[in-house]
Amino acid sequence: MTTEPRIAFHEVWKKFARGELHDSLRDLIPAAARRLARRAPSRRELSGEEFWAVRDVSFEVRPGEALGILGPNGAGKSTILKLLTRILVPTRGACAITGRAGALIEVAAGFHPDLTGRENVFLQGAILGMKRTEIARRFDEIVAFAEIESFIDTPVKRYSNGMNARLGFAIAAHINPDVLVIDEVLSVGDMRFQQKAFDRIQEMCRSGIPVVLVSHQLDRIASLCTHALLLDRGQVVRRGSPTECIEAYLERERPGDPAASAVSPVVLDALVLTSALPVRAGERSQFRISGSVHGDRPGPRDCSLRVRALSTGRLVFTATASACGATLPAQGPFELDVDLQFNVAPGVYSLEIGVWDHVTHRDLASGPGVTLQVQPGALAFSGTAHLLPRAQLVAIGTAPRSNGAGGTRSGSGRT
Amino acid sequence: MTDLALTTDLPPAPRRSVFGDLRVIAVDELWRYRDLLYELMLRDIRIRYKQAVMGFAWAILMPALIVAAGTLVRYAMAYMGGGHVKTAEIAGMAVKALPWAFFVGAIGFATSSLTGNLALVSKIYFPREVLPLSAVLAQGFDSTIGAITVALALPLLGVHYGLAALWAPVLALLIVCVTAGAALFLGCANLFFRDVKYIVQVMLTVGIFFTPVFFEPRMFGPLGARLMMLNPLAPLLEGLRLSVVDGHNLLVPLIVHAGAHDILAWSPWYLAYGAGWAVVGLLGSALIFHRSEGLFAEYV
Repeated sequence: MTTEPRIAFHEVWKKFARGELHDSLRDLIPAAARRLARRAPSRRELSGEEFWAVRDVSFEVRPGEALGILGPNGAGKSTILKLLTRILVPTRGACAITGRAGALIEVAAGFHPDLTGRENVFLQGAILGMKRTEIARRFDEIVAFAEIESFIDTPVKRYSNGMNARLGFAIAAHINPDVLVIDEVLSVGDMRFQQKAFDRIQEMCRSGIPVVLVSHQLDRIASLCTHALLLDRGQVVRRGSPTECIEAYLERERPGDPAASAVSPVVLDALVLTSALPVRAGERSQFRISGSVHGDRPGPRDCSLRVRALSTGRLVFTATASACGATLPAQGPFELDVDLQFNVAPGVYSLEIGVWDHVTHRDLASGPGVTLQVQPGALAFSGTAHLLPRAQLVAIGTAPRSNGAGGTRSGSGRT
Repeated sequence: MTDLALTTDLPPAPRRSVFGDLRVIAVDELWRYRDLLYELMLRDIRIRYKQAVMGFAWAILMPALIVAAGTLVRYAMAYMGGGHVKTAEIAGMAVKALPWAFFVGAIGFATSSLTGNLALVSKIYFPREVLPLSAVLAQGFDSTIGAITVALALPLLGVHYGLAALWAPVLALLIVCVTAGAALFLGCANLFFRDVKYIVQVMLTVGIFFTPVFFEPRMFGPLGARLMMLNPLAPLLEGLRLSVVDGHNLLVPLIVHAGAHDILAWSPWYLAYGAGWAVVGLLGSALIFHRSEGLFAEYV
C-alpha cells in the first residue's frame, strides 16, 4: 500500500522512575539541593532508580491495517498506547497520530456517579473529543447499543458494573475516529455483549480505520490484526504476522525448564505441520514431532500433544503417543507422524508437545509449539466441540390436538 | 516494514517556542475542546445543585456572609470612632464580597481539579487546561446569580448607577483572568506537590485581611494604601466599588484628604497594574501548565 501512515511511532524511548517521586514541597527542597550537587540527568542515560519502559520502538500503521501488540505484563504495551494517545510524552523519539484518535481505553473513566446516564453520555463524549451536536445526533444509537434505554435517566451510581462498562464502550465505539486505539476493552460485559463489542470493532476495522490493539485475548489479535509486534521489557522482540508473533509469544511464555529437559528421557526438538495450509474445521492435518530418547535416564518414555484454544486458553484435546499405539524407541532419535481431524470451531489454536510426568504433574520437558488458525471447513457448527450428533424422527402427526389451536403438531426428533 | 521511510512521514518535531506554545493553548486545542469545557462546567454545576437543600440560595450565601462579617467589623470601627455605618459602605462591601467569594470558590475547586480527576488525567487525552478552567467557569455561574442579586439590591442601599458602572464588566473580566491564571498555576502545582492544597487553604482563609474587602485602602494612610494596592486583586475590587457605588470614572485619579494627608485612593495606574497581572499572570500560568502537561500522567 502506498497510503500515508496514520499512526507513526519512530524510535521511541520512554523512561520511568521506580519508587516514589517526591510529591510535597517539603520534600522538594532537600531533593532540589541534592540535584544541584549532582550533575543534571541526561535524557539518554539512566540514573539510579530509572528504567526504560519502552526502548527504541518503531512502527507505523496505514489505513486498512490493524496492528496487534502482545507481550507479558510489564512489557510496555499500555505505555505505548499512552504515548500514542499523548497522555505520556516520549523521552526520545517521536510519535504521531494523524486525525482524531478514538481510544477504547478505560471507557468509563469520565463518568460521574451522581450524574444520570444521559448526562454522562454527553460528558464522556466530550472528554473523548466529540462535539455536543455530534453526541446528540448519535445519542439514541449509543443508548440502544448499550441496551440501557430504561435506565438512561438513572444516576450512574445505581448502575451495575456491566451497565457502566457497556455504556462506556457504547460511547467510545460511536466517536467516528480517524484511528482507533484499543486496550483490553474486549472483555466488557457478558459474553453476548463481548461478541457485540467485538463485532463493532471488527466493523470499524473493516471500514479501513487504522487500528492498534493491545489484548491478552490472543484469538482476538489473530482475527482482527493484519500484523503484530511482540514486546518484552520494552523492546520489540518479534514483528510479523499475528500468528507468527502469537507463536513466538507462547514460545516464551511456555514454562520450559531447561534443567529438567537434561534429566528427561525424551527430548523433543521440533513440531511441524507437514500437510498444506489452511487447516480447516472437520478436516485432517498432519504433523511431525521429532526428538530423541536417552535410554539411560529413568522416567516416562512417551510424549504428549496438546491442543489449546487461544480464545479461552483452555485445553481442547490431549493425546499421548502411547495412547495412539505408537511406542517410542528405547534409544536414539525418532520422528513421529501425527494425524489429527480438527473437529473444532474455527479459531486460533496452539499445539504444544511435552513429556508429561504423572508423578509431579508437570512437563519433564517441552518442545516448540505451533499456532494454527483453523478456517471454516467441511464441519459447520458453532460451539467449541463437535459431538457427532445424530437425529431421527420417530413420530409424526400422532400427538393429541390442543383445543382450538388448529395446527398440526409434529413430534420432536430425538437423538 | 520500511523503517527508513518513517523519517519523512513524520511531522516535524514540535518547536518549543513560547509564542508557538501560547498559540497552541489558546487557539487550537482549547477551541477544539470547547464543548468539553462546557460539559465539565455543567457537570460541576449539576453536582453542586443536585441533592442540595439550599438550591440557588447557595450562590448568595457566601457573599452574604462576607457582607455580614464586614458590617460587623465596620460597626466596631464606627463605634470606636464615634460614628455609624453608612449604607454606601455596606453597598461597597457587597460589591467587593462577590468577586472575593468567586475567587475563593474558584481557586478552592481548581486547586484540586487535576488531582480530583485522577482517572481522567492518567487514562484519557484532552487538554488538561479544561479541568481548572471549568472549575472557574462553574464558580462563575454561581457568581453570576450573585451578581444579578446584588445589582438588584444595590438601589435599595441608595446606589444610583451612573455611566462609570460600565467599568464593571471590564473589571469582572480582569478578575476572571486573574482567577483563571491562579487556577491554572495552583492546579498544576498541586498535582506535583500535594501540600499546595493546604497552603492555598490557609492563604484563602487569611487572604480577606490582605485584600480590601472589609476595608478601603485609604483607611491605612498614604503608604498603607499603596502597599495594599500591591495585591493584584486590590485594584480590581476597589475599582469595582469606586465605579459602581461611587460612580467614579476609573481613568481619573482620586485623592482623598484625611486630616493632614492627601491619600491617593485611585489612579489609572492601579487599573493598569491590575490588568497587567491579569494578562501576564494568565499567559504565564498557561505556559507553565502547558509545558508541564506531559508530566501529569507520570506524577498523578
